[in-house]
Amino acid sequence: MTETSGVDALITETADRLFTQICDHEAVQNAEAVGAAPEIWAAFAETGFPWISIAEDHGGSGGTLLDSLEVLRLVGYHAAPIPAAETGMLGGWLLANSGHEIPEGPVTVLPNGTTNITASVSGAQVTLAGTCVRVPWARMAERIAVLVEIDGRNMVASVDPNDCVIQPMTNMAGEPRDTVCFDAVTAPAAPSAPGVDPAAFRFRGALSRAALMAGAIEKMSQLTVSYTNDRVQFGRPVARFQAVQQHLVWGAQDAALARMAAETAGREANRGSAFFEIAAAKLIANQAAARATKACHQAHGAMGMTQEYPLHHYSRRLWSWRKEYGGDAEWGRWLGNAAVSQGAEGLYPLITGGSSVLS
Amino acid sequence: MRFTPTELTEEELGLQQQVRDFLQEELPPGSHEPCLGMAANKDKAFSLKMAERGWVGMALPKEWGGSDRTAVDRFIVVEEMLRWGAPVGHHWVADRQTGNVILKFGTGEQRERFLPAICRGELGFSIGMSEPDSGSDLASVSTKAEPTTGGWIVNGTKIWTSGAHENDWFVCLLRTSPMEDGNKHAGLSQILVDLKSPGLEISPIPFLDGSHHFNEVTFNEVFVPDINVVGDLGMGWHQNTTEMAYERGGPDRWLSPFSTVEQLLREAKGTELEETVADLFGELVARWWGIRNLSLSVARLIDTGDAPSIESSLVKEMGTRYEQEVVEKLVHLIDLEYSPDSDSLFERLLAQCVVTFPGNTIRGGTIEILRSVASKGLKGLPA
Repeated sequence: MTETSGVDALITETADRLFTQICDHEAVQNAEAVGAAPEIWAAFAETGFPWISIAEDHGGSGGTLLDSLEVLRLVGYHAAPIPAAETGMLGGWLLANSGHEIPEGPVTVLPNGTTNITASVSGAQVTLAGTCVRVPWARMAERIAVLVEIDGRNMVASVDPNDCVIQPMTNMAGEPRDTVCFDAVTAPAAPSAPGVDPAAFRFRGALSRAALMAGAIEKMSQLTVSYTNDRVQFGRPVARFQAVQQHLVWGAQDAALARMAAETAGREANRGSAFFEIAAAKLIANQAAARATKACHQAHGAMGMTQEYPLHHYSRRLWSWRKEYGGDAEWGRWLGNAAVSQGAEGLYPLITGGSSVLS
Repeated sequence: MRFTPTELTEEELGLQQQVRDFLQEELPPGSHEPCLGMAANKDKAFSLKMAERGWVGMALPKEWGGSDRTAVDRFIVVEEMLRWGAPVGHHWVADRQTGNVILKFGTGEQRERFLPAICRGELGFSIGMSEPDSGSDLASVSTKAEPTTGGWIVNGTKIWTSGAHENDWFVCLLRTSPMEDGNKHAGLSQILVDLKSPGLEISPIPFLDGSHHFNEVTFNEVFVPDINVVGDLGMGWHQNTTEMAYERGGPDRWLSPFSTVEQLLREAKGTELEETVADLFGELVARWWGIRNLSLSVARLIDTGDAPSIESSLVKEMGTRYEQEVVEKLVHLIDLEYSPDSDSLFERLLAQCVVTFPGNTIRGGTIEILRSVASKGLKGLPA
């Protein structure tokens, strides 16, 4: 596992070692069959990793956003079946930035916002009504952090999932993406800190997926190099055939491109405004996932289409994550408008300068 | 393989601004027909102006007329020139690779003879690698140099030699001892040949649109003095491979259609096309941003003393395919019958892209060869 700039090598090593031990092929397969992986979560929580980037005085583990993105990259690399992004850089971020207590267990969020929800406020309580779909791991969460705009003010409610009706659903990788029904649920709520708003949340969610996807594409690319060098046909490893080499190269390029994009976006987000970089990183991850899954599956032949061989843990996650927190059209449109607004003279300065020329 | 993210320092951003100011003054938009990447026009006067600012051969040592700048500094200058469509053709090959080869492998006398002149923007170089029977299988070259008093007698033919009819010198990969069975990489040497040498015959191979870039260069008993042998005899293959690492993975492999894209935005602004353009440009700026970051990290690796040959092959394979993809997207999206003679600059450029860009994935090593190089390198990775 090569080091990542700006991140303590110890974090990379420790997380990689942990997931290597607890997230082997069978463990991931089993989590999908059962619909949860409490033992994997428990081992992960033991290290404090879920709460990296949340300040210690807020009940977090300290560390930077870069550190937590590195852990997410490894979650993707090992297909770890846990709500890592939701508990830390998304849900934990919402709770910590509105003065809520960080619970000991997993936290989840509403990835697609609260447009389906009606909310009213009364003192330090909000009442929520409506149904939200594709809520990650709601079934095992201790709190749902709900960011909702009431009377022009952004509030975060810390909802107890036991007060909701939760219908188990999954994404294409079998990861829990539950339907949560809020039937006039009342929960403690507080205004969020400046900058913690639905737009910032959307970008942050996209950044979390870009990191997960970069890890998954890298793993897929490595599996493919390894498999095609072992698999012998016509008397030689299939990796020696030029037609197969093209798939290896394309997979490796997309792994490099997605990781570069996610890390660069993370670096900018850790400093301040990173709208351009995050939008570009998610769009790149989406398209890289589409190309790399195709190339890696093709190079694996029929073996890649089985449950027995692990490629599907990564490819199915990538197909799912591609659509979470913004698909190609959403980020393509955002970036296209940004580009056109710069005009012809400003087009290249946007590519080299990114968010710094937009602000 | 690892592409480490990097970014420009304050000083490097200062250089970027200087180059932008220079271009704004020398070639304000609308004042020139932009060139499409490295297949740029040769404009010696422009090269001399760049050289005055120290931007030709800038990574070469001061001792030899260079500016002791880094690969990243050179990346910045090249990137800005290409995205502007500047006429960098005259000094292009010398700046990108020949200067490096002479510095790395050449004798003190060769450095003195060539490097200051390269850095002044005076000398134009061609590359003498391919032959009629040796394309992708480059090690099979058969143009022969046989020893004679004080030098070598060369016989054979080089082909696809861009600019041989206008340049001063070319660096040839020649067979200086007969091919041995089982080791075709041995016995090759790099030799500098004066393009005005007696016995050298240069004839055009018209490009598909009729323009003149390519040549066939035939050696009829051409004498080349000993002092023109670059590096060690028989080490030509190794030197040539090193040269390729400089040639690959830079902005010239992914920026060629940029002027066309920029001109589309200029012409579409405020028209009904603007919304269509916005739909396309999101993907274009994201991909360019991503590929640029990879390419910049290769330049940074070169500055740390690495020879990132796998990384640069991956970037070149990806970048040149991307250049073609951009053109295909423009053609797909913009419903026009464009012509090389159109009144619209965008249409003229697009027509030129369509006709010439199939060559982008061929020149300097086909993408099939690059895949072979890169996939062998990938094998060493943990999985």
